[in-house]
Amino acid sequence: MKLELGYIQIKDIQFSKECKVDNGTLYVDPDAVKAYLYEDDDVKAWVKDFGFDIAKPGESVRITPVKDVIEPRVKVEGPGGVFPGVISKVETVGSGKTHVLRGMAVVTAGKIVGFQEGIIDMSGPGAEYTPFSKLNNLVVVAEPNEGYQDHKHEYEHAVRIAGLRAATYIGELGRSVTPDETAVFETYGIKEGLEKLPNLPRVAYVHMLQSQGLLHDTYVYGVDAKRSLTTILCPTETMDGAIISGNCVSACDKNTTYHHQNNPVVANLFAAHGKTLNYVCNIITNENVYLADKQRSSDWTAKLCRLLDLDGALVSQEGFGNPDTDLIMNCKKIELQGVKTVIITDEYAGQDGKSQSLADADPLADAVVTGGNANEVIILPKMDKVIGTLDYVDVIAGGHAGSLRPDGTIEAELQVITGATNEMGFNRLSAR
Amino acid sequence: MVKEIERAGIPVVHMCTVTPISMTVGANRIVPTIAIPHPLGNPALSLEEEKAIRRKLVERALEALTTEVDDQTIFEV
Repeated sequence: MKLELGYIQIKDIQFSKECKVDNGTLYVDPDAVKAYLYEDDDVKAWVKDFGFDIAKPGESVRITPVKDVIEPRVKVEGPGGVFPGVISKVETVGSGKTHVLRGMAVVTAGKIVGFQEGIIDMSGPGAEYTPFSKLNNLVVVAEPNEGYQDHKHEYEHAVRIAGLRAATYIGELGRSVTPDETAVFETYGIKEGLEKLPNLPRVAYVHMLQSQGLLHDTYVYGVDAKRSLTTILCPTETMDGAIISGNCVSACDKNTTYHHQNNPVVANLFAAHGKTLNYVCNIITNENVYLADKQRSSDWTAKLCRLLDLDGALVSQEGFGNPDTDLIMNCKKIELQGVKTVIITDEYAGQDGKSQSLADADPLADAVVTGGNANEVIILPKMDKVIGTLDYVDVIAGGHAGSLRPDGTIEAELQVITGATNEMGFNRLSAR
Repeated sequence: MVKEIERAGIPVVHMCTVTPISMTVGANRIVPTIAIPHPLGNPALSLEEEKAIRRKLVERALEALTTEVDDQTIFEV
């Protein structure tokens, strides 16, 4: 499957009476976006109002609580549309041509859904820990209707759809813009790959998706990942939004939709594809809360690795705690099929870094990449402007009673920062 | 907690869902339970069915508690 991405660099965002992309600036009319969001019945049912704001790199701005981050893209050639099965109709994506509004994101924020939304600082020490401080962000702040507390799943769904719709609306503005840069990504069929790259090791990416339920969910072509068996995706499918985040899980190591669209494991495997390895495919698998599901999904992952005659597999985790077991089960079972693994995770080693980093372990997990220690404490300075609300800083995962101090500074664990210890290796923290 | 209580000389049954973690941390008597968010219940069942499951799990745990083991043992329910 072959996909061309056309990158349109967005250097600035400005509110305007019209919506367009002109010479690297996105002009956006908040009322037009809002009207488009409200065309959805679920959004209409659960969201009382939307506020819009713009956050640029280097500004004294704090966005919180952050739910999702999404990169606007539009399908300009080939089958399907963005976010298939959710926004567009179900049709296999990942081929043809897609335009990307690079350098910006849509960020959904607002009154808390679960208790695990995060913080994005656009400047200061916190900005160093989140990749989203480097983007021009169009922030969509959702205000729930009365009674949402008893209907959090419905509200989460509505805000998720609103974010994806906003990104779709903005992405559409790039349809007829000439990209600044293009790149082509292609993986082969099994036989084709063997013929074209006969001497290169066969490597796949085992992509674990958060699927614990209770607002910890990921969707693939609209399917709730906890209700699916382990399966195969072409890597380019994720670039067209085949996988989206429905997660209100700890901010530091949840994969936002932006992470899925720009998965660095995929990007780096493509960079090595045809040179040092044959990038065969992605294997997506879940992280469910029943032991039988964990057994079944990891059995299936190992079986597919063997069936594809892989030489190696990279395994990335999402979240922490019991998914550590899914990670270790995947690693161990794949290794026992004679396929080498490297696992990518992060650590909860305590504030002093002295505790056991993962809840589970095995001697076969002998090649590990870490995204850093999520328990590390950080002090965030007061920001001039807050988009969203500081009301939840004390209760989000990684915060504690008194995290928000009287002088407006915040003392919390890195866990509170969106993307800080990302387990796709999206961020810069690691260890040797 | 399981290990500390056993260190004090009192046998322990660890009732948990993710038994591999229980094995890794070194529990000796393990009884597998329903699911991580609801280890000793199942909201999908009726109250009567749920009560029966709870009784079964607790009885199995009591049986495990009084069973001699030489090695880490999972008492399947």
